Amino acid sequence: MLSYLWAGMIMSSVVFALASDISDEINNSFGNQQAFHFKYQKSSRQGQASFSPGDKPVFFNINENNQQLEIDADKSLPQIWQHIARHQSVEDKTQLGVTITEINQNKQELTVILPEVHWVKIRAITKTAFDMAEFAVKLAIGLAGIMALWLGLMRIAEKSGLIQYFVKLIYPVLHWLFPKIEKNEPVLGSISLNMTANMLGLGNAATPMGIKAMQQLQELNRHKDRASDEMCMFLAINTSSVQLLPPVTLIAIMGTGVSELLLPIILATSASTVAAIISAKMFARMRTS
Amino acid sequence: MSYSVLVIPVLIFLIIGFGLIKKVAVYDEFVDGAKEGFSTAVRIIPYLVAMLFAIAMFRASGAMESIITMISPLFELVGIPPEVLPMAIIRPLTGSGSVGVLAELMAQYGQDSIIVKIAATMFGSTETTLYVLAVYFGAINVSKTGYALQAGLIADFTGFIAATAVCLVMFS
Repeated sequence: MLSYLWAGMIMSSVVFALASDISDEINNSFGNQQAFHFKYQKSSRQGQASFSPGDKPVFFNINENNQQLEIDADKSLPQIWQHIARHQSVEDKTQLGVTITEINQNKQELTVILPEVHWVKIRAITKTAFDMAEFAVKLAIGLAGIMALWLGLMRIAEKSGLIQYFVKLIYPVLHWLFPKIEKNEPVLGSISLNMTANMLGLGNAATPMGIKAMQQLQELNRHKDRASDEMCMFLAINTSSVQLLPPVTLIAIMGTGVSELLLPIILATSASTVAAIISAKMFARMRTS
Repeated sequence: MSYSVLVIPVLIFLIIGFGLIKKVAVYDEFVDGAKEGFSTAVRIIPYLVAMLFAIAMFRASGAMESIITMISPLFELVGIPPEVLPMAIIRPLTGSGSVGVLAELMAQYGQDSIIVKIAATMFGSTETTLYVLAVYFGAINVSKTGYALQAGLIADFTGFIAATAVCLVMFS
């Protein structure tokens, strides 16, 4: 299933990108090789340009040697101009490079052509694929430090017996979720810490503890190459995120607005957790039967 | 709300304090435990690359938007505002992407709109399923993930329906 979802995302993105670029090419959405006529004032060497009639006009200056229009490519430009500026082939993308092919001084009219723009989406997906590959490594390396911190603290808590006290406290729940795991297995400690961290909205503590739990579940796993029922249950609960406090990111974006969402979030997340547990239990039964 | 900043420092204090009481060699044990951090992080790199690049291509190609436009009439039919659909689709895929969607919705509709409330509840009530899957199974080098993905997506879907229903009942 994961394989198909993964392949589906990649294949569909190439197909969609190609289709979108071909349709841009057929409709000439970016005015490639099309002559545009803009009015200008001879005295001030300034004028207004618009991509299609009725658009918000863009102001320009004519440069010194009468070869280019000077248009700053910033956020104030209409969408289509920004798009062309971003995908033009010159190095300097801060200026929209419009080339003047003819100046009619009597009528005060310019004939210009815009920079050619092709394969926008195909370029975009190629670039993003490589960017993300790089980003994934940065993300993992960043995780290394956080993992080290929490794993170190967990080791202390394990040696001091703190985790074992904690497991005893919530063992009834754990036993119901993971009936096949013996009471004295250390994995129960990691699982309960991970769940607690999730409940308190501590995402960066939950991940290292969850990974530790997965590694300990793998030691108990009889088929090392595939996920055990316990792993699937654990993962389903994790992705449904049992939480009592909203995640830190949400507080950062919404500020105090979060407080009235506390109850809806708890209700919705409880519903998703219940669904996760029920579906994992059902899948487990289907697998054994 | 601001009490939540206390949780981590207090937790660290308790763990180390309890360790000292129980005469654990805290520094040695910390370093010993922390050693695993780096190797685990390196082990998940291939899984993260596989997942993140596929998701990023999917978004950048416009395929996701097309799918959203295709299925949004279905959602309108059952009374879910179609504006929240991007959040429902992107939430299981990427964390940063869903933050972006939420920020966009806030800029467009304002913090007090029902759309932002539903989207924020969706954001708060589920996790980035595919990321968690890649990291957790990557750490143990398992690529046959069984029914974990299915169960996770069922949970997400239930969460979205519940978020919408609860917000519609409470806020309108």
